Amino acid sequence: MDNKGWSLKAGSLLPLLLLVSELLLGQSVASLPICPTGAVSCQVSLRDLFDRAVILSHYIHNLSSEMFNEFDKRYAQGRGFITKAINSCHTSSLSTPEDKEQAQQIHHEDLLNLILRVLRSWNDPLYHLVTEVRGMQEAPDSILSRAIEIEEQNRRLLEGMEKIVGQVHPGVKENEVYSVWSGLPSLQMADEDTRLFAFYNLLHCLRRDSHKIDNYLKLLKCRIVYDSNC
Amino acid sequence: MDLWQLLLTLAVAGSGSAVSGSEAAPAILGRPSQSLQRVNPGPGTNSSGKPKFTKCRSPELETFSCHWTDGVRHGLKNPGSVQLFYIRRSTQEWTQEWKECPDYVSAGENSCYFNSSYTSIWIPYCIKLTSNGGTVDQKCFSVEEIVQPDPPIGLNWTLLNISLTGIHADIQVRWEPPPNADVQKGWIVLEYELQYKEVNESQWKMMDPVLSTSVPVYSLRLDKEYEVRVRSRQRNSEKYGEFSEVLYVALPQMSPFACEEDFQFPWFLIIIFGIFGLTMILFLFIFSKQQRIKMLILPPVPVPKIKGIDPDLLKEGKLEEVNTILAIHDNYKPEFYNDDSWVEFIELDIDDADEKTEGSDTDRLLSNDHEKSLNILGAKDDDSGRTSCYEPDILETDFNASDVCDGTSEVPQPQRLKGEVDLLCLDQKNQNNLPSTDTAPTTQQPSVILAKENKPRPLVISGTESTHQAAHPQLSNPSSLANIDFYAQVSDITPAGSVVLSPGQKNKAGISPCDRPPEVVSLCQANFIMDSAYFCEADAKKCITVAPHAEVESRVEPSFNQEDMYITTESLTTTAGRSGTAERAPSSGMPVPDYTSIHIVQSPRGLVLNATALPLPDKEFLSSCGYVSTDQLNKIMP
Repeated sequence: MDNKGWSLKAGSLLPLLLLVSELLLGQSVASLPICPTGAVSCQVSLRDLFDRAVILSHYIHNLSSEMFNEFDKRYAQGRGFITKAINSCHTSSLSTPEDKEQAQQIHHEDLLNLILRVLRSWNDPLYHLVTEVRGMQEAPDSILSRAIEIEEQNRRLLEGMEKIVGQVHPGVKENEVYSVWSGLPSLQMADEDTRLFAFYNLLHCLRRDSHKIDNYLKLLKCRIVYDSNC
Repeated sequence: MDLWQLLLTLAVAGSGSAVSGSEAAPAILGRPSQSLQRVNPGPGTNSSGKPKFTKCRSPELETFSCHWTDGVRHGLKNPGSVQLFYIRRSTQEWTQEWKECPDYVSAGENSCYFNSSYTSIWIPYCIKLTSNGGTVDQKCFSVEEIVQPDPPIGLNWTLLNISLTGIHADIQVRWEPPPNADVQKGWIVLEYELQYKEVNESQWKMMDPVLSTSVPVYSLRLDKEYEVRVRSRQRNSEKYGEFSEVLYVALPQMSPFACEEDFQFPWFLIIIFGIFGLTMILFLFIFSKQQRIKMLILPPVPVPKIKGIDPDLLKEGKLEEVNTILAIHDNYKPEFYNDDSWVEFIELDIDDADEKTEGSDTDRLLSNDHEKSLNILGAKDDDSGRTSCYEPDILETDFNASDVCDGTSEVPQPQRLKGEVDLLCLDQKNQNNLPSTDTAPTTQQPSVILAKENKPRPLVISGTESTHQAAHPQLSNPSSLANIDFYAQVSDITPAGSVVLSPGQKNKAGISPCDRPPEVVSLCQANFIMDSAYFCEADAKKCITVAPHAEVESRVEPSFNQEDMYITTESLTTTAGRSGTAERAPSSGMPVPDYTSIHIVQSPRGLVLNATALPLPDKEFLSSCGYVSTDQLNKIMP
């Protein structure tokens, strides 16, 4: 427990610095020129769109990794969550390619749609994550701020992906398919153990999915923009 | 009974082990970790003899392999009994069974290699190690978490440049990504870290991670050998892969002429010495110019003094010298009256009264001291301390040899005048008995004509001439002078504000500058009465009296008739009413009475003299002249 008190002070400072640096990275992301919304004639090149998307996805993955590590260090030590967390994530139902060959075989339009689905699936959980982390006892600033940032960046990435889809695969607008997240009750459990495990699981899934999206986007960028010659 | 107890305990133990063996069931995965912790409390317990996982890694996110230690040290156990089982979750439930490792060989001893067909990313895996049927170790992970790339290959370096001093050099190190990492398709993104050190050093210097496959290394010493190595990792991960092979960098030898040590320009010394030198110079300057600096800082209060005059002179009481100096100063007064070069001035001074009391003007006039009389006419006042040597005052300067005046510049003019007068006299002589009408008109006419034209200047000039001429006769006849009044009349006021003296007295003076007494100023007829102090009327007609009133209009001139030499005061009145222009030249042929009363003060510069104010000439008063003598006037005036 002493460990926790000390880690709270020291740990809140360092992640804060890290967060600041990451927020600056986020700012660099934000400083990219963006077409004004509603501008019909504005045409950002596909290359720029992919560059931005890759930067965003990389940033989100970084944040989620750090958030998971932070949580793991703080709450999950000695609880044996790691093996229990092999639970499925709610996005497992989406049939995404699981290795390189599958990813190469899938058509890039389908892959784009898959990415969109995954991103949409995380809108709800991220929102609730922020709410529930706030309600946690000793709500850690580093985790909370990262959660907020991830939520915002996820929204922006979703917009960017929709733009890319509009350029690569215009005209076809698929139904908004996404997998529903039903983990909210477990996040609000009274039992601390169960609740913490639910958080752990959610963060673990978030890290995994952000890595998946990051990888898909890098693959697509090399394939579409650089013609498989990055 | 003992046997049953033994069997019971054995059975319990067996069931316990069986239970532990089935712990791999996915539903109860919570326990394996605890069992792992129990069984493997720390890394130092390898001596217990149980095999355990050392690491699992995926070099390129396509395959992975797991390694374990063979804890068998005793050598008694069968080495081949260790098995690895894995399971991966593709669906929500753990329906699948444990599968055995597909490849025990490719990754080396005590390893299991999963090729790409067995590898799924983002899928949880669990593996377990069994030995003789019993699970000895278990691990769960996802493949993307265990990525550790292979080391880069193909390190080489090139020399970038050598510093000017020949001591340091920069190099560029290049390498290739690990061959199995599919960077080109973007499946994996790597970042690299370079480390270098001198050959005989033990501590590696690290550089920041870079994403590119080449990086410059700066400031390597030329006389040393270096070692370079590179390692890579997946971009978002924390774990690095293995280091590449060490690259030896042997830089070319230093040129023998290079300096041994870095030469740093001694800026510091130069600055210090420069400041010191400047300070010395400044001090020298201050000391040498002490007084001047003092004056600059504390300027002395100016004491009142006149330029050129030494206050000591005043103290000593040498007034004459002071006066001299002051007089000289006055010479530098500017010329006020530029246009009236032929006009004499009056300077009305308070001091004049004193002077007059001292020596009456009459006396002065009577005296043969022309200079002084001239001075008086010019109203010069020596005692006032001011000189009145104005350029235009030709008359004065003519005879002006006084010490107060610097008449050098003014000499030519009077000479000129004199010459003219002589000429006039000559004319007179030549003409001899020529009727004055000839001469007079000739001289008159110009004035008349000029008057008609209303040109002040020529009239003035002519007036001046006559004035001048008049002056001389005045002067040369002391007796006549005695009868001349103290006062002179204002004949004109120049635009500059000076008062033009009326030359009216000249008519009375009857003295010509020439040597011929009978001949008046050359303008008058020969038959003028000398003995009379005044010009008579008739005579006056012949004379050009160009001493008009300031206000008397020139209109009188046109009416002036040759035949009608008689100008009465009536004729004066006709013109008196006219508004006077001060600049108007004196009309010719106008006899000016001695006294007039002021009729109207029209302007600051204009006085309309009321000619009618004069009592009309009584027969008594009037002699043949139209003038009133002083005595007569005294009788008239109250």
